[in-house]
Amino acid sequence: MRAEWGARLLVVLGAVGLAVLTVFAVRVPADAVELRGRMADDGGWTPGAIMARVGEPLTLRMTSDDVVHGFAIGQSARPAVDLLPGAWITTTVTFDQPGKYTYYCTRWCGPNHWRMRGTIDVAGPGMRAPADSVPLFLRLKLDLDQAHPSDVVPTETPAAARADGLLAAVALESGDLRTQSPVQVWRTLRKRPANTGLTDRQLWDEVAAVWRAATSPERLAEGRRLYGDNCAACHGETGRGDGVMAKSLAAGPAANSMVGEHTGMPGMSGHGTVAPTDFTNRRNMLGASAAFLQGKIIRGGMGTGMPYWGPIFTESQLWALVDYLWTFQFDYGSSAGSSAASRTKRDSASKPATRPH
Amino acid sequence: MKRSRVITTALVFALGAGVVAFAPLPGASVKPANRRFRVEASSFKYAPATIKANVGDHVTIDLVSTDVVHGLYVDGYDVSVTADPGRTASLSFVANRAGMFRLRCSVTCGAMHPFMLGKLHVGRNDLLWRALALALLAGLVGVSLAPMRGVRT
Amino acid sequence: MTAPGLGVSKRLVATTPAGMGSPSGRQGRAELPQLPSAPSTESRLDLLRWPLLRAVLRSRWPQLLVRVAALAGFLVAVLAGLLGTPVGNHNFGIVLVWIAWWTIMMLVALPFFGRGWCSICPIPVPGEWLQHGALLNPRRDGMGFRRAWPARLKNIWLQNGAFSGVAVCSAVVLTQPRITAVVLLAFLFVAIGTSLIYERRAFCRYLCPVGGFIGLYSQLAPVAIRVKNKATCAAHTDKSCYRGSADGAGCPWLLYPGALTKNTYCGMCMECVRTCPYDNIAVTLRPFGADLRSPAGRRLDEAFKGFIMLGAAMVYSAVMLGPWGDLKMAAYDIGSARWFAYALGVLVFINGVLPGLFLGAVSAGRALVASTQPVKRSFVSFAYALVPLGLMAWIAFSLSFVFASISYLWPTMSDPFGLGWDLFGTAHASWQPYLTRSVPTMQAIVLVGGFAWSAVTAHRIAAEEHEQRMALRQAAPVIAYCFLITVCLMGLLIA
Repeated sequence: MRAEWGARLLVVLGAVGLAVLTVFAVRVPADAVELRGRMADDGGWTPGAIMARVGEPLTLRMTSDDVVHGFAIGQSARPAVDLLPGAWITTTVTFDQPGKYTYYCTRWCGPNHWRMRGTIDVAGPGMRAPADSVPLFLRLKLDLDQAHPSDVVPTETPAAARADGLLAAVALESGDLRTQSPVQVWRTLRKRPANTGLTDRQLWDEVAAVWRAATSPERLAEGRRLYGDNCAACHGETGRGDGVMAKSLAAGPAANSMVGEHTGMPGMSGHGTVAPTDFTNRRNMLGASAAFLQGKIIRGGMGTGMPYWGPIFTESQLWALVDYLWTFQFDYGSSAGSSAASRTKRDSASKPATRPH
Repeated sequence: MKRSRVITTALVFALGAGVVAFAPLPGASVKPANRRFRVEASSFKYAPATIKANVGDHVTIDLVSTDVVHGLYVDGYDVSVTADPGRTASLSFVANRAGMFRLRCSVTCGAMHPFMLGKLHVGRNDLLWRALALALLAGLVGVSLAPMRGVRT
Repeated sequence: MTAPGLGVSKRLVATTPAGMGSPSGRQGRAELPQLPSAPSTESRLDLLRWPLLRAVLRSRWPQLLVRVAALAGFLVAVLAGLLGTPVGNHNFGIVLVWIAWWTIMMLVALPFFGRGWCSICPIPVPGEWLQHGALLNPRRDGMGFRRAWPARLKNIWLQNGAFSGVAVCSAVVLTQPRITAVVLLAFLFVAIGTSLIYERRAFCRYLCPVGGFIGLYSQLAPVAIRVKNKATCAAHTDKSCYRGSADGAGCPWLLYPGALTKNTYCGMCMECVRTCPYDNIAVTLRPFGADLRSPAGRRLDEAFKGFIMLGAAMVYSAVMLGPWGDLKMAAYDIGSARWFAYALGVLVFINGVLPGLFLGAVSAGRALVASTQPVKRSFVSFAYALVPLGLMAWIAFSLSFVFASISYLWPTMSDPFGLGWDLFGTAHASWQPYLTRSVPTMQAIVLVGGFAWSAVTAHRIAAEEHEQRMALRQAAPVIAYCFLITVCLMGLLIA
């Protein structure tokens, strides 16, 4: 009988005891916030809102419950952290200003990837530094939903390298370039009696040179990176609006992958969405100003499927991204970074980079 | 069957099996070429799921993920690539090894991820034909040599 | 298979035999009558002749220790499945059960030890503890009703159905940790419930879907439990091996060891080794596949088990290793129209197409030799020729995904519950498939062996009725059928 009790003890301690031990072990360290990422269709971030205090380190223990996700805080310089399925990663953030911060997924995880966002409410003394300014599109009172076709379009891609660049300085006199569309600048140049000897095409080349002079290779590289990370999945790697997610945006729920198929969530991609903008479309793009494009990016498409990036990008990131979008219209030459429009092998002379702001 | 005959037959079969398994086959002499494939990855399939190359070809696979981050690992060549949606990634290698090699997703992409597979065919699949011939031979050896003793009723 | 000539009702057998009242088994053994003990022709190499192994197998402690370890692993797998990450290939429960256990099961335990796994399986431990009222020597005051298993269900059709049911849901069961945990718990609780209602290990014998296929393929194993001398058993009136004694329980698998000719239902629990007062039980080492040579006890339910297993190996190879994404999604999307279509297709294939074609092959063989046997008997007999090919198909299938997936074990071992632990420093080890150059060759060799083995088996089964040359003629269509299956398997696995 003693042996029998020994055996029972063995079973209870050896097997069941281990189980009980495990249940006790399942405790999240109290000083860390456990943050789980799932596809937006399956719930997105858990939790979706986090509280923090100014100056107090916030430790996040993060994992992904399905596919590869990434974690980053909007409008901050912190590098993104990759969340690999089933693996844990810990990071610590300290906020020095109160306010509402947005954290978001940085790796594409389906058509509703951009909906995977959460907020961190940081309380404490001090005022959140005001954003640089009210966004330009609001100051200009631009109607972002107004069509903006250009009535004049070049017959081929305007190339900065073909222009003599002399007109660039002249054009800059006409005010803040960011508030003007290329076609407006082209018209200004066309109207000048001095330019009557130049063909329309030559003038478009001048416009390209004007636009190139307003950016820099560094800013274009930054814009290119941001575009690849955030925009290319819908707008396409070549800007044609034919990205891998475009299908699910243009054709409604049936075209969604299985990922979104079983969710009846209203407002999810595929419900009333429109095809992503084609940045290579001349009529559309040459009639738009940088302020307009920036406004679109900040505000989003309001139901078209275009996300709002206001809480995500910094002012300078937004302008870098807009700068890069123009490379789908203008050939800046190879030194300005390769894009669809600038793949022609033409070297351009190095030029002084002037920043628009 | 007499013992000596059994041994002779076994030897003949063993020789035959050796020939089937190891005899060099004439290789089809196709000039190596550059081959580029665009493979779309979505949960949990590749399109196209099967790609073909000749021995010696320089193979480039452009991996295009269309929903979440996927990867592509090539069995036998031990090379892999990872692609985010919106960022086509490329993988190049010289297909210097004939046979069938599975393409496997190398980035966890959901429940069925371990079974997200494709196939790469390089040249002729000698293993398959040799295996089928060996199976026939082995079956023949079996039925002609295996003792029928030990049958109880 | 209960002993036919015993003349004791099962209900009676389940109660403690009269000898139980004597103070100890040892004393009882001293009073044993002399029984014939002529050297047996049955026994081959008896592993129990080796004293150490004999001690290990007779004692209850080593077995109990292993079962406790297995039970701990089982519970850890369930907990990991419930609490750990929902990412299947990073969940310790999934990886432990469907990769680690499956590998050991299919590549080692089943081919070499047959039902060896059943002897250490943790699932019946709690139920048997309640039923026996003890973990070591069974007591008479255990819990439960000890009813006889319904006569109509004394076959493996339930197991066949259970396995088919799990098979059509396998894409989810194999990949969803929560579902895996629930399935494991269901096994445990059904086993406990069955132990409380019915006598002995009715769950293992008649319900467990895993036990069903282990039993089928254990016929091939080189290890078997057999009596040394049947005359001793015949003269032994107590039948303590079946009725139980102070030394142990009567056969939990409802077998009479004296009549044992096949491994199929012998769980290798070693109770008869402990209860036989004449030391007449041997653990024999024998050639692979020996049970297939015995024409006795062939049954239609077992024949169908063979088709189900062979068909499932083909379906799994197509769904899990094939390049067909839509097929995978259909298999995964349980409850949808495409899944119903898939499930129906699978069930028709394994229970209809495969046996149907086989019936055609068997009929052709019968026509070639003008056989006088009933068709059903030929069909059932020849179906046993598929057993070796079936096991080899499973091994070939397993090789493919085992070497590709075993590296998922390293991170999950270090962090079994997804808590951010790093027990072995491998928590962040990345996935790396192994031996990808050699696996297809291994699969080819295994399938070639499987086909040859099945061909020989078919020939031998035919030779039970005819002389060798006629037998080959009758077996030829069955061998052709096996070759067709082999071609399909090679097409799925290495082409």
